[in-house]
Amino acid sequence: MAEHKPVVFEGEHDMPELVVSVSTMLWNKTGSWRYLKPRYVDHVPPCNQACPAGNDVEGFIRLIGEGKIDEAWRLLKEENPLPAVTGRVCFHPCEDACNRAYFDKATSIQALERYAADHVSPDLEMKPLRKASGKTVAIVGAGPAGLAAAYHLTRMGHKATIYDALPKAGGLLRVGIPAYRLPDDVLDAEVAAIEKMGVEINLNARVGKDVPFEKMKEYNAVFVATGVHANRALDIEGEDADGVIPGLELLTQVALTGKAKVGKKIAVIGGGNSAVDAARVSRRLGADVTIYYRRTEVEMPAFEEEVDDAKNEGVTIEMLTAPVKILVEGGKVTGVQMQKMELGEPDESGRRRPVPVEGSEFDVACDMVVPAIGEIGDLSFLPESVKLEWGKIKIDAFGLTEHPGVFAGGDIASAQQNVAQAIGDGKRGAIAIDRFLQGETMDEIGGNIIIGESGGVSAAQYMSGNAHAKNIACNHVVPFEEMNMWHFEQMERDAMPQVAMEQRMKSFDEINLGFTEEQAMHAAERCFHCGVCTMCDNCYMFCPDVSISHKTDGGYGYDINFDYCKGCGICVKECPRAAMEMEEE
Amino acid sequence: MKKVLMGNHAASWAAMLSRVKVISAYPITPQTHIVEELSEMCADGRLDAKFLKVESEHSAMAAVVAASSTGVRTFTASSANGLALMHEMLHWAAGARLPIVMVNVNRAMAPGWNIWSDQTDSLSQRDTGWIQIYVENNQEVLDTVIMGYRIAEQVKLPVMVCYDAFFLSHTYEPVDIPDQDLVDKFLPPYEPDIFLTPEDPRSFNALVMPDVYMEIRWKIQRAMDQVYDVAAATGREFEGIFGRSYDLIETVDCDDAETVLVTTSSTTSPARVIVREMREQGQKIGLLKIRHFRPFPSKQVADVLRGKKKAVVVDRNISFGKGGIWADEIRGACSIEDDMPQIYGYITGLGGRDITPELLREIVDDAQAKEKPDSLLYWKGLKP
Repeated sequence: MAEHKPVVFEGEHDMPELVVSVSTMLWNKTGSWRYLKPRYVDHVPPCNQACPAGNDVEGFIRLIGEGKIDEAWRLLKEENPLPAVTGRVCFHPCEDACNRAYFDKATSIQALERYAADHVSPDLEMKPLRKASGKTVAIVGAGPAGLAAAYHLTRMGHKATIYDALPKAGGLLRVGIPAYRLPDDVLDAEVAAIEKMGVEINLNARVGKDVPFEKMKEYNAVFVATGVHANRALDIEGEDADGVIPGLELLTQVALTGKAKVGKKIAVIGGGNSAVDAARVSRRLGADVTIYYRRTEVEMPAFEEEVDDAKNEGVTIEMLTAPVKILVEGGKVTGVQMQKMELGEPDESGRRRPVPVEGSEFDVACDMVVPAIGEIGDLSFLPESVKLEWGKIKIDAFGLTEHPGVFAGGDIASAQQNVAQAIGDGKRGAIAIDRFLQGETMDEIGGNIIIGESGGVSAAQYMSGNAHAKNIACNHVVPFEEMNMWHFEQMERDAMPQVAMEQRMKSFDEINLGFTEEQAMHAAERCFHCGVCTMCDNCYMFCPDVSISHKTDGGYGYDINFDYCKGCGICVKECPRAAMEMEEE
Repeated sequence: MKKVLMGNHAASWAAMLSRVKVISAYPITPQTHIVEELSEMCADGRLDAKFLKVESEHSAMAAVVAASSTGVRTFTASSANGLALMHEMLHWAAGARLPIVMVNVNRAMAPGWNIWSDQTDSLSQRDTGWIQIYVENNQEVLDTVIMGYRIAEQVKLPVMVCYDAFFLSHTYEPVDIPDQDLVDKFLPPYEPDIFLTPEDPRSFNALVMPDVYMEIRWKIQRAMDQVYDVAAATGREFEGIFGRSYDLIETVDCDDAETVLVTTSSTTSPARVIVREMREQGQKIGLLKIRHFRPFPSKQVADVLRGKKKAVVVDRNISFGKGGIWADEIRGACSIEDDMPQIYGYITGLGGRDITPELLREIVDDAQAKEKPDSLLYWKGLKP
């Protein structure tokens, strides 16, 4: 660098026409003014943390946006063996957490997951990541938790063998969710892929009946994920009459045989998904259906869109109504005596407790009653050494029961009963079993594989070999307030194409048709990519000191020239998605 | 190609034909159509330029100042209070010697709020160092914006093209839109010798000590002095290619005139009517249309007025405490010349009030009836 000395002008003729230095200013290293410096650091998008199955939501949406459907599917499959299933029936807590919801409407995450699963190249498959370990694991239950555990254990090189009581794999996905929401062939295909990878599935093999629990001792570890299949009783008079068929029983019958005998006029009792599904299935079988629920629509645990669809399909819903007794004549159901309810103080679930209204009893006529007020698990097959708690199997944070070597997850062990939680539990159990088989515990690495501050676990992080360090980006989850909305435009949320109402009632064919390519690309474009650099060039454009440049090798990200960066922080401020931060020198 | 365009769209077309690279503006009635049309031209690909939305006129000018500093052709437009908000940045543009061209649609200053024609907004930016040109019709709007870049880039000073709200901005007239090839021939790409670039980092517009500042200001005045020749030559060259000629002033029937009516902007059009009428009636009257306010064509004006009896100046503006701004400029120009006429200054048409041929005739008759001016300003069309 040339040394700089004062310029002395002889007269106006050697002064420049405009006010400009007569030579380069490169000598002026303005970086010396800096006391804070910017850096690029990816943070955790709220959707990623919110996914109990531990999906890299932002990552797969980015890949869809780039048209890389196979890569998006692979990324999903790293964490979740059933994206075609969750893309259809997950209750998508990711969308509830989506920052975009504060701006216009949440990104269509679930529909995009389904899009990736439905449009992946047919020959693509996931393979074990490690060579065979020689260790074996028995898995009780072929539902989402059991399938996920088996899948991840196989990826880790262990031999997984599943036992299931039902004649078909899938657990509640198979028998609890009607085909119009989750077609059999979709579930079949993802189960088949798991089997192809090397998982053995024994059907019609109820542990504790067809197979003794003792047999599980032949394996190096056991994962129990039997789910909840028994209906909670109404506990009222007449419940054993002919014509009372519990909701899950009805759904199972239809799921396994494609048909069921239903009455002409049906009273469904309950407000959860089983109640709504049982009602909609009954409508398709030709019945006149009314759902009776003791609280109001706000408190209904069923998914809002399912409730809307049920109403559109002609299901009547009577709120603040609870059964007192089932009316029976000659052993057969003739109706239900109901009672009006009103909402009182909140109960332990936070929902307002329904309180009976004195003298409000009335009768409704019907020839079939479908109680669907919840399901409970059958725990009778377990040895005493596996301890219980609140009617569920007692487990630690990674699924270990009180019995060494026995792990559990899914609805039978978790307070959260949903498919994504079950898949997450299966993966968590697989990781804990893998550690157990190596003679290790989760103590050292447990915290390092959790996504964000309180999310699911990341199999990718666990399998990366870096599980001893917290490097899932950074555990800070980006709240809406940290996003810079000046750089986003409002965009319509895409509507899921559906089969016309008049067609729906004629079959159990799937109602939701999935996004078109155009919709998927538009929906992917709506993603904010909270906390993750997309190379949008905002920092590059806004840097007043031209100190941010593209990588000279064309690689991902930017270089900051700290010789001249004054640490003004404009790049951090103008980053639309909080993928930069300032740090002290 | 002839099109029927409103004055505002004539300005948009001119900016497009001039191949501007950066446009930044904030909307204000009556200017909005200009930048609205340009934003569409950018959006549909007719114009390869960056359109920057900003939160104020101050920012709009700051943005084009910055863009122009990087050596690209820039455009903005404003009006009235918007222009006033740009004031600091107007000084900056000229002081930094940036050849920005902007349109100002002359609108009355508030309060009271008034969106109609009045020149006080741009005339009160007199000392910012901008070349100011006032035009009469939509064709002249288009031509002057294009010529504006030729002039600005030669002398390194910004140009403000001014025209009357609604009388031009919103009024449709046939406009001959020149072929792009011809405009390209007339207006070559802007390639300044020094500009802001990371390749050769320089310090721009930094602290200037008293030992240098005065020379820097002197150079701006020297550049203004060059405009007389540059603008005249540009007008001649423009005529050579497009067939329409422009100078700093225009005269009609002034050679043997005893009285000269002096007008600017669209007021010139009704003035042409009454000058023709009065000529037909045998009166020795001429018309002087002044286009340039800065630099003020003092010599050209004095040359026209020398030997005349009366100059009657119509001002759609007012400098409070003095009078009509054009009249005052002319008095100043005449002050070092011999054989100058009496100068009558009339304030009229403020805030968009019509200046009809009848009103102009009244003004001329009034001045002719007077033996000599007894005031620096007369009001005409004022309600009693």
